Amino acid sequence: MYYKFSGFTQKLAGTWASDAYIPQGLKPVVSTEAPPIIFATPTKLASDSTAYDYAGKNKVPELQKFFQKSDGVPIHLKRGLPDQMLYRTTMALTVGGTIYCLIALYMASQPKNK
Amino acid sequence: MTHQTHAYHMVNPSPWPLTGALSALLMTSGLTMWFHFNSNILLTLGLMTNSLTMYQWWRDVVRESTFQGHHTIIVQTGLRYGMILFIMSEVFFFAGFFWAFYHSSLAPTPSLGGYWPPAGINPLNPMEVPLLNTLVLLASGVSITWTHHSLMEGNRKHSLQALLITIFLGIYFTLLQASEYLEAPFTISDSIYGSTFFVATGFHGLHVMIGTTFLTICLLRQLKFHFTSKHHFGFEAAAWYWHFVDVVWLFLYISIYWWGS
Repeated sequence: MYYKFSGFTQKLAGTWASDAYIPQGLKPVVSTEAPPIIFATPTKLASDSTAYDYAGKNKVPELQKFFQKSDGVPIHLKRGLPDQMLYRTTMALTVGGTIYCLIALYMASQPKNK
Repeated sequence: MTHQTHAYHMVNPSPWPLTGALSALLMTSGLTMWFHFNSNILLTLGLMTNSLTMYQWWRDVVRESTFQGHHTIIVQTGLRYGMILFIMSEVFFFAGFFWAFYHSSLAPTPSLGGYWPPAGINPLNPMEVPLLNTLVLLASGVSITWTHHSLMEGNRKHSLQALLITIFLGIYFTLLQASEYLEAPFTISDSIYGSTFFVATGFHGLHVMIGTTFLTICLLRQLKFHFTSKHHFGFEAAAWYWHFVDVVWLFLYISIYWWGS
């Protein structure tokens, strides 16, 4: 006994050997030749075959690998030079500002001599 | 190589709490220097270092969570508690201003004429721009809910669209409110009415701007594929904050704009 899958009932249905031998029956076979590749038209990449492509591809997996490197560097400096520059700028402004603040507050707290 | 045998997050030593605290010192003393000595260098330094701290601290949180995977369920639960407690503290912050408003408006003093709105004050018509503002924020509440559902269903296009709509509504509210401020027939110095009106609505407007910024960060993160359909606490925190901002406006509208007019 041979069986085919009936797309209509979504179940297996009994059939004859002829279906197994020539699944498409005796109708002319659809050509299995690949169509000629036309390079004049741009080929679609798998990554942008979706109907939209917002702001490029997903870089999260590579960033995950990058930030999980066990190099002992703390998280706020892990990207290297740009992190260091921003950290140093922030620290310089903050500490410098604090010193300026303490001086300004000291001066402001001096009594005004009439 | 040692590794932790618990699900908690032991954070790397970080300089941001220190720079944050010092920036608070610079901002407060900067305000003093600006008010009393006509100098705004400290205030500018304070605002700059505050922004730098916030940017780097939260950038590090994104690195620790999305890129290093430290935000386990237990860590996320802690963050949820934290955000809820923070929003509760903001509720109490606004409660103070509502207290001040009701204190002054329920028993208007003779110097105001004994009635509310006080003598000489022409309040804004609550059925004009304030009503539009109410509808704008309510609509943004709908769009942010749509964003969340799209996110949970993995629908990237819809989540981005809905989040964009929410942000635009937030900006629209801010622009409308700014024009109301410029056109208002009364100022902050017009008796206790002006004080309560502008301090309460002013702090609310500031919170709208903060919420809009938070949502914009979420938009950028969603564009960069940071959120998954199961794990997107940053967005949820922004959504909770946004709903809080909406609720505060509803109280403002009912109390100050409508009852108070």
